[in-house]
Amino acid sequence: MIMYDGRKIIPGLILFLGLVTYPVWYNLASGKSNYVPKPKVPADKKECIEPKEVIRINHKTLLEDWRNSVVRNAGKTYVAQNKKKYTMSLNRTCMNCHKDKAEFCDQCHNYAGVTNKCWDCHIYPKQLEEKQS
Amino acid sequence: MTPILQHSSFDWALMIDKRQKIIGEDRVLFEHIWKTGKGFYITISILGALVLWGLYAYVTQYRTGLGVTGLSRQIFWGVYITDFVFFIGISHAGTFISAVLRVLKAEWRRPISRLSELTTVFILMFGVGSVLIDLGRPDRMLYAIRYAHFTSPLLWDVCSITTYLTVSSISLYLALIPDIAMLRDLGGKREWFYRILSLGWRGTEEEHRRLDKAIGFVSVLVIPVMITVHTVVSFVFAMTIQPLWHSAVFGPYFVVGAIFSGVASVIVVMAILRKAYHLESYIKPIHFNNIGVFLMAMTLLWFYFTFAEYITVVYGNEPVHMAVFWSKISGKFAPLFWLHFTLCFVIPLPILAIRKYRTIRGTVIASISIVLGMWLERFVIIVPTLTRQRMPVEGAFYVPSWVEWSILAGCISLFMLLYALFTKVFPIVPVWEVREGREKASASVAARIESYMPETGSSRD
Amino acid sequence: MDFDRRGLLKVAGLTLLGLSVKPGWQVFSNEEPAEPSPDAETLARKRWGMGIYVRKCWKEEGCRDCIDACHRIHNVPDMGTLKEEIKWIWKAPYEKVFPEHEFEVTQEDYQQKPVMLLCNQCDNPPCVKFCPTRATWRREDGIVMMDFHRCIGCRYCMAGCPYGSRSFNWRDPRPFIKKVALDFPTRTRGVVEKCNFCVERLAQGLIPACVEACKEKALVFGDLKDPKSEIREVLKFKTLYQRMPELGTKPKIYYIL
Repeated sequence: MIMYDGRKIIPGLILFLGLVTYPVWYNLASGKSNYVPKPKVPADKKECIEPKEVIRINHKTLLEDWRNSVVRNAGKTYVAQNKKKYTMSLNRTCMNCHKDKAEFCDQCHNYAGVTNKCWDCHIYPKQLEEKQS
Repeated sequence: MTPILQHSSFDWALMIDKRQKIIGEDRVLFEHIWKTGKGFYITISILGALVLWGLYAYVTQYRTGLGVTGLSRQIFWGVYITDFVFFIGISHAGTFISAVLRVLKAEWRRPISRLSELTTVFILMFGVGSVLIDLGRPDRMLYAIRYAHFTSPLLWDVCSITTYLTVSSISLYLALIPDIAMLRDLGGKREWFYRILSLGWRGTEEEHRRLDKAIGFVSVLVIPVMITVHTVVSFVFAMTIQPLWHSAVFGPYFVVGAIFSGVASVIVVMAILRKAYHLESYIKPIHFNNIGVFLMAMTLLWFYFTFAEYITVVYGNEPVHMAVFWSKISGKFAPLFWLHFTLCFVIPLPILAIRKYRTIRGTVIASISIVLGMWLERFVIIVPTLTRQRMPVEGAFYVPSWVEWSILAGCISLFMLLYALFTKVFPIVPVWEVREGREKASASVAARIESYMPETGSSRD
Repeated sequence: MDFDRRGLLKVAGLTLLGLSVKPGWQVFSNEEPAEPSPDAETLARKRWGMGIYVRKCWKEEGCRDCIDACHRIHNVPDMGTLKEEIKWIWKAPYEKVFPEHEFEVTQEDYQQKPVMLLCNQCDNPPCVKFCPTRATWRREDGIVMMDFHRCIGCRYCMAGCPYGSRSFNWRDPRPFIKKVALDFPTRTRGVVEKCNFCVERLAQGLIPACVEACKEKALVFGDLKDPKSEIREVLKFKTLYQRMPELGTKPKIYYIL
């Protein structure tokens, strides 16, 4: 088989593949791919309102359900799997324990490239302190 | 230089002869696809620049919020909603000239049916676009579909405009198929593109019959949809209890206004295309004359509805309504009101009514006046009511900002740009319909007229 | 009817027609059906209303206690211009609020005096009818609610409201809030907002902030269904005024002159 202009095509192809796969091999080589986000867990509380694995996957849906329930259906009490009752509130329930957004929420969100719009309107506890200081 | 000729057994002479057979005597109808002159490139550059400017204006608005416009707590609907009603209004052109005239079997519609259908399909997108530009949270625009609440006339708008866009697009495409097949047969670089779109059209009698039936069905279907669309747009205003909006006549008033502005804009488009692409022998003075007569009828009809609307307000003499009325007639909005009345009625009527003035140039002048006047008419319907809602007046006045004008200019430029690009790919005058008219129309019209005549050789004596 | 293709189409058509009766009826019925919720029964036991003693507002010149309290706890921004202002409760001159009271010989002591205006929490709200996403709805207890998460900012509710009670966020409001209150979220640009009868306070058993803040006790709030409530005392007055009752919106704010 004859490839016309093979002398130009093959090196060009290799260069192209190299550029395209740059993120993969650069992260492997420099050790950045070993990075695991370490959200700072509150010291005094042992468990969240749901088991860690469950809430890690489902907290977005959970918060959306809470939002619909509180705003649209006037229901404020959440009964967890462990039969305990909690108030459906991002600030009063979740942020009560996970006080620092930057040390907890943002650790994983930044790593995974997740942007949420909650804080466009809602005010996390530290935000006021930052503003007043 | 030409190795191909030596290696293949391609017969150039046969191919040129075949091409000539397809083109026939209508070479000028294909030329705008093949030849691109300096004027086209200049036009595209100017339009492109305006589109980019409009885009920049929109990005400014998206980043800061709608505060960059001239809108306020008091007057919260302005240029964008005017654009919305105006563009949807213009979209009635295509349906009228293409569908209604086809149903009425008017043979003179043949050369202009595609250019008007195209106006409809493209401008509808900008009508919808204007509303989306006006939203405070455009990132949530799909909530209107996901959480649709059907007591809202805006939802009725979504349904009817979607239907209208779908049916008009189908109508445009169906009428394009035989011409696409012609372009496919002519060969060349784009043959693969036309082959896919032509859906295997061979031009047999059977296929023509089926196509005729399909186009006929869609044409009849699109007429009630067209009337529904602008009625529903008027319901956005008429269903509220605001003074001078809450009027039963808004439905037909808006439909008449839409057909009025739409047909006027088609005349402008016709004149531009005729000049730019040398279509003088296809788009003739008779077309402008016929549409001009219809436009005159629409001028009078528009005046009738406007008169009926305002005289009922005056005779009712309710204080809140009269406050808005006086602001239009002699108050803050008087200059705009009287300007729009001049543009919509005083200038066009003598031009269109007097045969001596109903030339191509006259019709085009009248049409440009009507298009500008109708934009102002939408503005004058929407904004004055908002200054005098039934609440304490706080004296706000509405001056549109550069963002709103830029986006309007950008929308119109993008429409013209897309239109021009379309003419580079497909013929703007439907070749097959013109040929069908040439070959079969006289006979069918003569037969039809013959059928109207009384029977000869009476057996009644 | 033969069960072939045509038969199927006939049955399907009739079914669709039947299914469209209830939604069709709802579209044209007058009173807005409230949003169903699990706590519907609890909510429906109350019906909130407010009475305003107009003359009590005139005792202190330039008093803004209720306005400041409401705007403070709800993070209502001070945009600085008339064009972009956002207000949940505000004052307007008497003759603008009740133009029907303006006769050629209107009492001089009424002229230019302030009257408090807020969302009337209507029982037949036009704004609710016009919202394309149901971002605003009437709850069983009569409050016209706003869901800022769902509002797309089309401002059709503002066009529907004959009282001008609604404001729009023309840009990001956060820079314009003097002191942010933690308990209540701010809003983003592009959504409509209005007085919400302090639903978050009512949920905790408190009365609305404006009612609490008024030194003269000019605002009276209560449950219209409770015969012993303060608001029912107010309704015993023979002459009560409402803003434009002839429009059929059935407002819940009563004015006592």
